[in-house]
Amino acid sequence: MTAAVARPTPARPTATHCPYCALQCGMDLTPAAAGGAPVTSAPVASAAVPVTVSPRDFPTNRGGLCQKGWTSASVLRAPDRVTTPLLRGVDGALAPATWDTALDLIATRVAAIQAEHGPGGVAVFGGGGLTNEKAYTLGKFARTVLRTPHIDYNGRFCMASAAAAGNRAFGLDRGMPFPVTDLAGADVVVLLGSNVAETMPPFVQHLARARAAGGLVVVDPRRSATARLVDDPQGGAPRAGRGGVHLQPVPGTDLVVLLALLHVVLAEGLADRDYLAARTSGFDDVARSVVAWWPERAEAVCGVPADELRRVARLLAAASPSRGGRGAYLLTGRGVEQSTQGTATVTAAINLALALGLPGRAGSGYGCLTGQGNGQGGREHGQKADQLPGYRRIDDPAARAHVAAVWGVDPATLPGPGRPAVALLASLGTDGGPRALFVHGSNLVVSAPNADRVRERLGALDLLVVCDTVPSETALLADVVLPVTQWAEEEGTMTNLEGRVIRRRRAVDAPGHVRSELWILAELARRLGSPVDFPDDPAVVFDELARASAGGPADYSGLSHARLDADEAAGGPGLFWPCPATGPARELSGPGPLERAPGPDNSRARELSGPRAGIGAPGPDNWRGQHPGTPRVFLERFATPDGRARAVVVDHVGPSDDVRPDAPVYLVTGRVLQHYQSGAQTHRVPELERLVPEPYAELHPHLGQRVGVPDGGRVRLTSARGDVVATARWTDAVRPDTVFMPFHWGGPGSVNRVTTDAVDPVSAMPEFKVCAVSVAPAESPEPLPAAAPTDDDSAVPTDDDSAVPTQEVPV
Amino acid sequence: MTLPPLRVPQRVIVVGLGMVGARLADELARRDTDGALDVTVLGAEPYEPYNRVLLSDVVAGRTDVAAIVMPLPGGERVAVRREVAAVAVDRTAREVLADDGTRHPYDHLVIATGAVARVPEVPGLAAVPGQGTGSDGALPAGVHALRTLDDAREIVAATVNAPRAVVVGGGVLGVEVATGLARRGLQVALVHPGRSLMERQLDDDAAGVLRASLRDAGVSVHLGAPLAEVLVVGGRAVGVRVGGEGDGETGRASAGEVIGAGLVVLACGTVPATALARRAGLAVDRGVVVGPDLASVSDPRVYAVGDCAQPPEGSRGLVAEGWDQARRLAERLVTLAAAPPAPVPVRRGPSEHLRLPHDGERPTMAVRLGTLLTSRAPSDRGVDTRGTDVVKVKAGTLSVVSMGRSGAGRVAVPGERALRLVDPAAGRYVEAVVADGVLVGATCVGDARVAADLTAAYTRRVPVPVDPAFLLLTAVMPAAETTSSPERMPDDATVCRCNGVTKHDIAACVADGATSTEDVARATRATTGCGSCTEAVCGLVEWLGAAGRETPTPVTAR
Repeated sequence: MTAAVARPTPARPTATHCPYCALQCGMDLTPAAAGGAPVTSAPVASAAVPVTVSPRDFPTNRGGLCQKGWTSASVLRAPDRVTTPLLRGVDGALAPATWDTALDLIATRVAAIQAEHGPGGVAVFGGGGLTNEKAYTLGKFARTVLRTPHIDYNGRFCMASAAAAGNRAFGLDRGMPFPVTDLAGADVVVLLGSNVAETMPPFVQHLARARAAGGLVVVDPRRSATARLVDDPQGGAPRAGRGGVHLQPVPGTDLVVLLALLHVVLAEGLADRDYLAARTSGFDDVARSVVAWWPERAEAVCGVPADELRRVARLLAAASPSRGGRGAYLLTGRGVEQSTQGTATVTAAINLALALGLPGRAGSGYGCLTGQGNGQGGREHGQKADQLPGYRRIDDPAARAHVAAVWGVDPATLPGPGRPAVALLASLGTDGGPRALFVHGSNLVVSAPNADRVRERLGALDLLVVCDTVPSETALLADVVLPVTQWAEEEGTMTNLEGRVIRRRRAVDAPGHVRSELWILAELARRLGSPVDFPDDPAVVFDELARASAGGPADYSGLSHARLDADEAAGGPGLFWPCPATGPARELSGPGPLERAPGPDNSRARELSGPRAGIGAPGPDNWRGQHPGTPRVFLERFATPDGRARAVVVDHVGPSDDVRPDAPVYLVTGRVLQHYQSGAQTHRVPELERLVPEPYAELHPHLGQRVGVPDGGRVRLTSARGDVVATARWTDAVRPDTVFMPFHWGGPGSVNRVTTDAVDPVSAMPEFKVCAVSVAPAESPEPLPAAAPTDDDSAVPTDDDSAVPTQEVPV
Repeated sequence: MTLPPLRVPQRVIVVGLGMVGARLADELARRDTDGALDVTVLGAEPYEPYNRVLLSDVVAGRTDVAAIVMPLPGGERVAVRREVAAVAVDRTAREVLADDGTRHPYDHLVIATGAVARVPEVPGLAAVPGQGTGSDGALPAGVHALRTLDDAREIVAATVNAPRAVVVGGGVLGVEVATGLARRGLQVALVHPGRSLMERQLDDDAAGVLRASLRDAGVSVHLGAPLAEVLVVGGRAVGVRVGGEGDGETGRASAGEVIGAGLVVLACGTVPATALARRAGLAVDRGVVVGPDLASVSDPRVYAVGDCAQPPEGSRGLVAEGWDQARRLAERLVTLAAAPPAPVPVRRGPSEHLRLPHDGERPTMAVRLGTLLTSRAPSDRGVDTRGTDVVKVKAGTLSVVSMGRSGAGRVAVPGERALRLVDPAAGRYVEAVVADGVLVGATCVGDARVAADLTAAYTRRVPVPVDPAFLLLTAVMPAAETTSSPERMPDDATVCRCNGVTKHDIAACVADGATSTEDVARATRATTGCGSCTEAVCGLVEWLGAAGRETPTPVTAR
């Protein structure tokens, strides 16, 4: 592999965003040769990087970056970066090839497979990290070139339950229907199953006021870094009115906590009756349904003392607008969503928010904390099995007609809904299932549940094509690996966790023969004889995406790269969808069919709108009079046919894989600050890898003693699906009935070999977050299982000293 | 394609729209996905079903009386007849006769008539002929049982004009009512014939702690004080006279003592409502005698569930037991009605649970959808069979929990260990009983956190610590040293989480000449994430600068 030669770049910093999570922190990239920005020196020497990173003042991060962001430039020069197409040869090894060879081979094989097995013989698996343009093009490629119904993406693993619940309740799924900066005005913020202090650290800034008011409530079975924020932020002994409350339920029972909180709100007469009457439907049934969840019963199921439940319910109610509070927010994360009752749990959170009159009111609300960088945009543009661009349903004839017209195809040729991710993966290589798979922006042998079975299914395929930047665990199984551009090497847009559409910009050229997926898909379409036009200029693709989304729930038709650039250059307020091509914003229009909700919504909205977050602030001249975007949706009405939010009755069922005598301990999974998802990027950053070099499992000392696993010893967790080996860390941050393990590793330390692929019946989201395991000492050193002989060798950079932690000897 | 043979749905009549009858109807509707059952519920009361468990919360003012109404069972699938009381059963014709003259033929009859409050037979409480016991119509003004919504409403109304109350009976309900009335500001006396409170659940030490806690809550407790008479003047109660030996400890409530009160609440237990079953010629002992399958021993087509039933394992009068019976009976009736008849599923003991995998198999999607998509109404899924014997007193901040093999009446078994923490001065008592590495019983008074942990450990049978004494305390260590004290902070303590910067890193940076937070930020990136640590870094830089130290020797190897 030859080192890439960057083309001459202007010394001006490029304003873009971090490659990792949905907070999409603003950062400037300065070409390394041009000298550093003020805060640039890396504390740890790392490989030469083509750009230096400096944080930028942007509403989500306000000048902050976490360690992943600071070190993100290292990913651009990962030592094992894939820089040419790779083909698996007769010897079974991947070897470099030219683009023509690789693309011709793929086209020939795809054509042959489809000739034998029909269009459904080929499947596509996308990712929530792809730009809007790529996600859109991928869906279009699947539906118009491959004409396969089988496309889904890894967002099914993270966003599907919140999306399903949001669509059902509000008629629209925009993760946060308000700017993240609004949180700073609230008295109470409840985080349900979200560990923002590790997953999106700069977000913690927005919690400062709630913490100072004693109003941060964290619901997590583990005393995570986020749960520790409820301790007095100034340190010292807990004082009244500082920090907040941590509720530590038994894994899999978050829903019970929510049902009990709603019970207390209703039992104590704390609900916002006017709001319920004016803005919701179906609430009476919900009210009756929670009568069965009095706090003492809830305690027996969820392990949270009844009085703590009462205290939190009162805290929330006191912050609600109808009781004179300054506002409250309920936010959900993967901890409660990745569950067979994830949709129900989010629905319960929404029901509670409705009872308190929070959604659709400036300064209060419900939101879901989207995880992946483009987890919001990735679920809007047509890479979901049942979806067309603009968040349209693929089984809606009008949606099909609209999108087919934009694509220049007959609507009848568009396939129908495909299978959601887990079912899709399970069908690979089976009778009647797909024989070929394209993977984009996903490392699914590490990130999918029941990962050993996924590996087995991939092995049964006739053709596996993986587009990636590095030889990920999944890429190493491929027949063809195609090297693609990454964040700082490409132009495009992302939609962050607020629904704000932002620009990703190119700061450096990609190394070697790396190409963009837009170009690859266009080339494949041509080779497969498709008459459909596939532009590879991101700005042109965006314009087409905007047209395709026009009139859909996620309407981008008033946006373009040029408008986004101009807004940013002018210091504008940012642009949030929906942003239709014409017409005034809903918020600026007079009262709609429904009167405005009671309460001081309008004045509150004005109060919240600082100069940077102002609604309808005049943008650049070209777009004056255009729709200004929608920072806060639902202020007047919800996107349901009658404009009311739907309250839906849900009830607790419990985990699909509950503890039992031969698996008596709960396993919960999560992330650490230094790594991101499957670790394909962060394991290649020495500074991060040095701090968290290996898989570990957190055990309570009581459990460690019981099963004979000392602190620092090797522990094996075994479920009905598989086992995983890790280093034990004793901590009382986990309940004695629970072990915690991060999911950032492949190979023997890959916890998703243990997690269950049982899915939520509404969203088809798998139950990553809880399953039953037995816990036992593991012999050390751990021999590699035969099934995965090469994993660790390839997943971890081979050159560094981080594999063996250095022992510092006290002098 | 041939159509499946037409089937006539089997008719199920449920007598009683209480918490268990309603739950049964709902369980039937949810499980019977192909219309094999035709379910009708007859309810004597005019009200929609309500949560009887919460009546003591209504009395305590913790719950709005409007907020205890439960959903009508089964949606459209269940015919609910309110204000229709079953008066007779013709078991030969298989018909129920109701007081409105209607007849209700059945294939399966379920009696879920519940229980009525027991009214002691003492002067002042003579039952009026023709009235059932426990109906307030038969009691003097100011005297109430607490069994129905009307009882709760009347007690709440009475608290307005009665500054003093007597609660008769020191069981779970008596304790709840006494603390509830005290919470409303009444002067409350709790009179109890036994020598200790909650004697079905608590041993003497635990009861002693409870008693002291009640006293702190403003309730005066009179033990060994059976109710001798309710004093009635002009048809209205003015107090009670207690008999018995009196309380040796305090000498109060000695024989014949009179306690004045305008409100007397009877919490003397319940009597199963078995009149209908008795008239129908079914075997009745204390309750309707049923077998393990909940069928009457006299008639396999008649079942009894809830407080009116007397199953072989006995009954504690807890709603969780009744709900579990409802679940089990619903499963059975749906199985019986299924065509072709399927074998009754093999019971695997008390861990039987629809969605708990047996022998490693996973529940099928059909089962999961069946239980999830129809979950319009409360489900028992959270209440595993094992949890049905957890008794938790609802008394506000006073925490009292008892479960399994613990407390009063526990007979020691070889191999079982019972550990206790008795701390009466702090109002705390904990007992944990362990066998075969799991918790088999526990009592906890005065420590809500430990109580919640014990309940979770008991209901799920998770492994207990090698030394079960750890069960007696919360499993969380005291909070770690915070970042507010630079001096005591360990060298390897992380100061800036977002960027993984330790105290050692900052010290090294200061030793290299950094004099400000900005210098440290430039060199280490500390404070450049969420900014929460800015104060701590600032404090460290000041302290390190003032101390004028060289790079400290590492305290801990990393």
